[in-house]
Amino acid sequence: MRISIEPNRCMGHGRCYAVAADLLSDDEQGFVAECGQTLDVPEHLRDQAREAADACPESAISLLEATAADA
Amino acid sequence: MTTPIRQCPVSHADFGTNTEIYGHYAMLDAEREADRFRFNDTTDRGFLMLQRYDDVVEGFQHHDVWTTEVRSAINPEPGVPLLPQDLNGEAHAKLRRVLNPFFSPAAVRRMEPMAHQRCVELIEELRPKGSCDFVAEFAIRYPTDLFLALLGLPVSDGEFFLPWSETVFAGFFGEDPAKVAAAKNNIMEYFDKAVRERRANPRDPKEDMVSRLIEARIDGEPISHEDILTICLTLMLAGLDTTRSALGYIYAHLAHNDADRQAIIDHPDLAPKAVEEFLRMYPLVFQAGREVQEATEFHGVDLRPGDVVWLGIAQANRDPRKFPEPDRFVLDRRGANQHIAFGAGPHRCLGMHLARLELAIVLREWHKRIPHYRIKEGTELVERGGQLTLTTLPLEWEV
Repeated sequence: MRISIEPNRCMGHGRCYAVAADLLSDDEQGFVAECGQTLDVPEHLRDQAREAADACPESAISLLEATAADA
Repeated sequence: MTTPIRQCPVSHADFGTNTEIYGHYAMLDAEREADRFRFNDTTDRGFLMLQRYDDVVEGFQHHDVWTTEVRSAINPEPGVPLLPQDLNGEAHAKLRRVLNPFFSPAAVRRMEPMAHQRCVELIEELRPKGSCDFVAEFAIRYPTDLFLALLGLPVSDGEFFLPWSETVFAGFFGEDPAKVAAAKNNIMEYFDKAVRERRANPRDPKEDMVSRLIEARIDGEPISHEDILTICLTLMLAGLDTTRSALGYIYAHLAHNDADRQAIIDHPDLAPKAVEEFLRMYPLVFQAGREVQEATEFHGVDLRPGDVVWLGIAQANRDPRKFPEPDRFVLDRRGANQHIAFGAGPHRCLGMHLARLELAIVLREWHKRIPHYRIKEGTELVERGGQLTLTTLPLEWEV
């Protein structure tokens, strides 16, 4: 699974790194530091990734399930 | 096919008047369930009501053409300038970048010891009395003291400061403009003195917000003295009434719902989760306004420049399409974090991380010291219209 954060949508609500503290972090202004990136989600943090995506009122976070093509 | 906004189903509901507690939520829920869009004709300009979660969030995201020229659909011409709210686009983003670092989670964590200490002092002052008006004696004093401390000003000034801010605030909902102007002048003079003092004796701009505002450059230019005062006024108006109001609704709920209160007594670490669900359930700023700048169409409704749009924050937070059984307090509600009590888009509440911290501290510390309390018998709880608050909340407990 991968998680990606759309930089134009992130408004600094901060709910994602509040619920997924092992996966995401905040920058000095309170926006998610991983803005604009696509990260691989380690197996044990999948639930956190789902919660982070669920927590964003701006729908800035999307999850990409690994497909056969990734393997 | 599109419809002009005035031909939408029309609502005559007036949200500016006082009701019994929860009266506004009942009205707002009814409006949302009656129609997806309604045109409200209770103000001179009228407004298009967006009421369902997806529409309201989308509305906030139209910030490029729906601007804060109008900040409240109910009172589109309030007359008191606010910063950064009055700015839009790049100008807004630039000023927010100056202010954001003071309100980021990291900055807010630095305030935690002070917030904690002030909270405990106020609770310990009230505890031996066995009763208090929670609104007047706790819920407004606590954020006022923290705001003054945030600006590096004496906490004891809260005493004369508070009536001024209440009067200016009432100006957004129809208070006599002459009284509002006088109170605003008092506040501006007070800030003027404080900012001049800080110009003479600057502190560390990383820790002291006024010093940062003095030092900051936007496109190479300093922020004008007048604008610095307006920013201070805005932070005050934004932070005090809302925190007081949130606390009122939270404690009215907990006084009535023993199981929810017991959960917080037993698991103080759940306080932040409880805060989210309370914010979802009882948003105080129940609407934001926007002014349409370009002729456009929103899901079949024609909008013209100058039209006013109502972004129904409370209607979205209590939309059963998004949050099943919205009237139920669910501590572990899935997706509760997606509530928009603090708005959305680039103008979302600057102080929301601070607000969350302040509220969580109160829940933890109060219930450690005064776990059981009740609303004084025979009290009728009244909520102010326009922007919700409980006018009084008399609580009693065993000493």
